[in-house]
Amino acid sequence: MLLFVEQLVNGCALGSLYALFAVGFGLVFATLGILNAAHGTYASWAAIAALAAVQHLGAPFPLAVAAGVVAGGLLALLVDQIAFQPLRGRGGPAKEGGMLGALITSIAFWIMLDSLAGFATGQQSLNFPADSYPARMLHLGALPLPSMQLVTIAAMLLATAGIHALVRHSRFGAAMRAVGWNGAAAALGGVNPRVVIVVTAFLAGATSGLAGVLGGISTQNVSFTLGEGLMLKGFAAVVVGGYDDVRGAAIAGVALGILEVMSAQYLSTSLRDGITYALLLGFLLLRPRGLFGRAAFLRA
Amino acid sequence: MRGDGDTPALLELDGVGKSFGGVAAVADLSFAVPTGSVMGLMGPNGAGKTTVINLITGLLGFDRGHIRFDGAEIGGAAAHRIAARGIARTYQNVRLFSGMTALEQVLAGGFLRRGTSLIASFLGTPASRAARARSLAEARHLLDRVRLAHRADVLAETLSYGEQRRIEIARALGAHPRLLLLDEPTAGMNAAESAAIGGLVHELRDAGLTVLMVEHNVRLVTDFCDHVAVMSFGRKLTEGTPAACLAHPEVQAAYFGRSGDAERIRALR
Amino acid sequence: MLADLWAAYQSSVGFAMVNVFFALSTYAVLSAGVLSFASVSYAAFGGFIGAQLVLNTGISPLLALPVSAVAGALLAYAVALLFLRLDGHWMALASLALVLMTRVVVLNAPTLTGGVNGLSLPVDLSLATLTVLLLLLMLVFHRLSGSWYGIAVRAVREDPAVAASLGMPARRLQTIAFVISGAVGGAGGMLLAAMLQFISPDTYFINIAFTMIAAVVLGGSYHWAGAVAGAFVFTALPVVMQAVLPQIQDVANGAALLAIMVFLPRGLIDPRAWRLRHAR
Repeated sequence: MLLFVEQLVNGCALGSLYALFAVGFGLVFATLGILNAAHGTYASWAAIAALAAVQHLGAPFPLAVAAGVVAGGLLALLVDQIAFQPLRGRGGPAKEGGMLGALITSIAFWIMLDSLAGFATGQQSLNFPADSYPARMLHLGALPLPSMQLVTIAAMLLATAGIHALVRHSRFGAAMRAVGWNGAAAALGGVNPRVVIVVTAFLAGATSGLAGVLGGISTQNVSFTLGEGLMLKGFAAVVVGGYDDVRGAAIAGVALGILEVMSAQYLSTSLRDGITYALLLGFLLLRPRGLFGRAAFLRA
Repeated sequence: MRGDGDTPALLELDGVGKSFGGVAAVADLSFAVPTGSVMGLMGPNGAGKTTVINLITGLLGFDRGHIRFDGAEIGGAAAHRIAARGIARTYQNVRLFSGMTALEQVLAGGFLRRGTSLIASFLGTPASRAARARSLAEARHLLDRVRLAHRADVLAETLSYGEQRRIEIARALGAHPRLLLLDEPTAGMNAAESAAIGGLVHELRDAGLTVLMVEHNVRLVTDFCDHVAVMSFGRKLTEGTPAACLAHPEVQAAYFGRSGDAERIRALR
Repeated sequence: MLADLWAAYQSSVGFAMVNVFFALSTYAVLSAGVLSFASVSYAAFGGFIGAQLVLNTGISPLLALPVSAVAGALLAYAVALLFLRLDGHWMALASLALVLMTRVVVLNAPTLTGGVNGLSLPVDLSLATLTVLLLLLMLVFHRLSGSWYGIAVRAVREDPAVAASLGMPARRLQTIAFVISGAVGGAGGMLLAAMLQFISPDTYFINIAFTMIAAVVLGGSYHWAGAVAGAFVFTALPVVMQAVLPQIQDVANGAALLAIMVFLPRGLIDPRAWRLRHAR
């Protein structure tokens, strides 16, 4: 029983990383209509930036996290302005929603940023020094709780709740949804789409960055493969959770993390990925628009 | 089924209702389009006229009521099946295919009358090649009919707005429809162009086509429509001859009262 | 000198031709208005089935090719039935998820795929054979684009609602597009297996998916020739970059891709641009 609860916490912590990734990815997909293949590289670079802040500036843990988050956000902003901004307003067949060009430029940045991340870490996997993050083991009765896992789960909950509140319950969120639905109409309604785009891109990069820093610490891996790993699982969370509601993506991310840890513990390590993707297939077939998905209707 | 007078109705709407998120866009709407007539559908902006066209063509599903075409229910059928029964349309904002020449647009309009299977057309059998030649000749003929034969090989999106509207009509005629739905065919046109469209509509009617047109131009409606229905806030305000409809006090208020006076229009209900 | 150059780059030409199959598989659905990455899955299905057929019966890979094509087409038909009801954005996501799952399936079906160890396939595929096959494929796409199917899918891609009101059955046309995509992708998977003489779970994975779509968009997604050109350019790009800028070849690849997309957003081959020029 204790082992089960312990693994449950492990799963939640791992799933929180997927959730953070999925929230940012879904936010960009829903608001800006971009399938961003470079989203995982923000995580790698945020971890690299946080590690640099620790190693070269001696930054304490909260500042290192902040450095990574800001780095992820700024990188996402840079990518948006170079890779996506020039394509906006050029149109294309309605059904593709202008998605194609941005997909390709995001692939271009994915290739470049991955390769540069390889250079930055000297083609190897780096580690955060052991004293640079909270490593204490807390105890709840007999249950050991690594403080880093608690930090990860808390960060995910805070980020998700914050973004959900922003999107659903603020005027700015209404503007974001308007841009997601129809950029031209949003502009007519007094919304400045440019501001929405910039803020959305930054937020998405920042959440991916948060996942990168926390994941880099807990998996002891700071390299370009960090982002790739997050991308493959985080993407599954987007599909299961649906991209138009951040809560769905967060819940799905955590669920996938728990599932992964539990199936490795109780079934077999080799089946771990198989179970994740079998679940993914099941969702695609039975609930193809995600947990909170709504039926889309044909636009006349 | 009888429509106006003793002419059988080609199209009949019977208690049709459609809401978007609780707001009724069309409510309890009934009217009939007599075979071989030109019917006008009038009403202020937002009255639901375009929605009616979308309901008839199956682009939108409706919540209640019946739509019958030539006596058979078409409500709930897929858009392409409704088209195959003989209903064609144009759009309020011209919707031509990007990247296609004027001739290609009209040729695409002849999809239903291609006279060959997709496979035969891919294989290029002699029969399918003959059918294609007929389709092309027909498309050229239709372009000529809207006086755009000289523009056949020009990319349609580079043509003037009026020319694009005419291509859209030619494209709709490509399927040899029995009912043609025109959504504001003269919007943005000058008086001469509008009159030309009106003349074309009459030619088509004389050739046996039934036309339902959404139109704001009062002059055009009086000159070219046999019969008019007026909508306001999704409901039918009145129906009858153009002169009778325009004389209706509420129509007078809606059309000739102070424009944009929301209070007054709301009072029409 | 020229012979040396040919010897050095011969295999690149072969890979470029195989990539044309993948690019045209992606183009087949894109030209009907659907962005799908599932071509990778058709390629894996066709590749492993074809490879097993060759290994178990000893027939020539050319005879296995139609079987691979049919296998890919069947898988694509199933995908179309399941996913075509989704809207464009979801379709793209779902097909990407399918690619991820394909790798897991391949890993966990070792009797068919050899699992992690993969399969080696000691066969020869001459460049001449490949060229003939490619020309045949191009002929098929040329015929398709001029046929009523080609006209109708263009209309469906540009404006599905208008196409439907002209009597075009969008869903059926897109299903046909999927079947074509599956057949071409399945055949491409078999040809890749024959070129590499070895296939494993990583042969058919996310990088091919992105490569295919990038090749099509780069070359121009509004004409089949764009997919052909894109596949060649996209195969040549890394080879050239490795020769010219070996240190930073990946970065240079990415930058080149970015530049082409920003300055030529409709790709290298764009029939609309030709016509616009023609109109002046």
